[in-house]
Amino acid sequence: MSPERPDDLTPAERDLLSRVGAAAPAPPEPRWGDYRAQLQARLEARRSLGARLRRRWARPAPIALSFGLATALLLFMLRPVDRRPDFAALDEAVLGARLELLEHYRVVERLDLLEDFDVIRQLDHVPSREG
Amino acid sequence: MTDDREASSDETLCRRIAARDDAAFDLLVARHQGRAYRLAWSLLRNAEDARDVSQEAFIRVWEAAGRFRGDARFSTWFYRILVNACLDHKRRGRWWTRLVTRDADRDAEQSLVERQPAPGPDPGDQVSEAQTMARLWSAVHRLSAQQRAAVILYAQEHLSTAEIAEVLRIAEPTVRVHLHRAVAALRKGLAP
Repeated sequence: MSPERPDDLTPAERDLLSRVGAAAPAPPEPRWGDYRAQLQARLEARRSLGARLRRRWARPAPIALSFGLATALLLFMLRPVDRRPDFAALDEAVLGARLELLEHYRVVERLDLLEDFDVIRQLDHVPSREG
Repeated sequence: MTDDREASSDETLCRRIAARDDAAFDLLVARHQGRAYRLAWSLLRNAEDARDVSQEAFIRVWEAAGRFRGDARFSTWFYRILVNACLDHKRRGRWWTRLVTRDADRDAEQSLVERQPAPGPDPGDQVSEAQTMARLWSAVHRLSAQQRAAVILYAQEHLSTAEIAEVLRIAEPTVRVHLHRAVAALRKGLAP
């Protein structure tokens, strides 16, 4: 513990921390030759993996294929997913089919009014003029 | 003489590693392997993990040597890589690993007491001191990962609070807070 280290620890705190340094047991020593050999093997494995990946990505075909797949996937994900029927178009089609009714617009208007007053449904119960 | 020292400085070796110089890498590993392994062991308390993680740190040095700018000391940069690798390893640890480690802690405590030199004139005091040290070391490992890293870098690696801040990438006042809180926790851990 070097006393010149600037910190705002009290002497008691520094003392406790220096005891931590002394309390640290020595770790079990590895065989350094084996350690370095294992490190070299791991480094070689990493290098060859890196080289394999670089070689793979350097080929134009996989790049084009990956790019194409990614674009197709993107387009598939971004396509409009709204499949609800177009009610306005349906309505227009129905109206178009009933276009001849417009020729008798006054009658249709009166029938509409009678329907609103629930007359048509109760027509059988309406007393006849004779009755 | 100065040129020789310059030629074999860590920073120069790192630049040579960036140019893919295997001999420079071997030299750097031989120079730092002991310290790297010991620091990893202190943080992880497992010999196998310490070996794996310190080797991984050297591999990251090989991979990232080109990014070493040289505005900080190599040792600070290397400590940062190593401590990060240790913290990553800790984060990845599973519950059963922690259970096993806890058992290993107890073994370590016991073996630390056994490792103390033969009692001299006052055997009672010697054993008691050894037990206190074992409890202190055990208390270090109950600290949070950041506090433990700060304490070990300060007490074992003799780094200044500014250097610890650089290694852990936190503000220097935060390092001081970590150390104060760690000391408070250690005192509590030592209390009978």
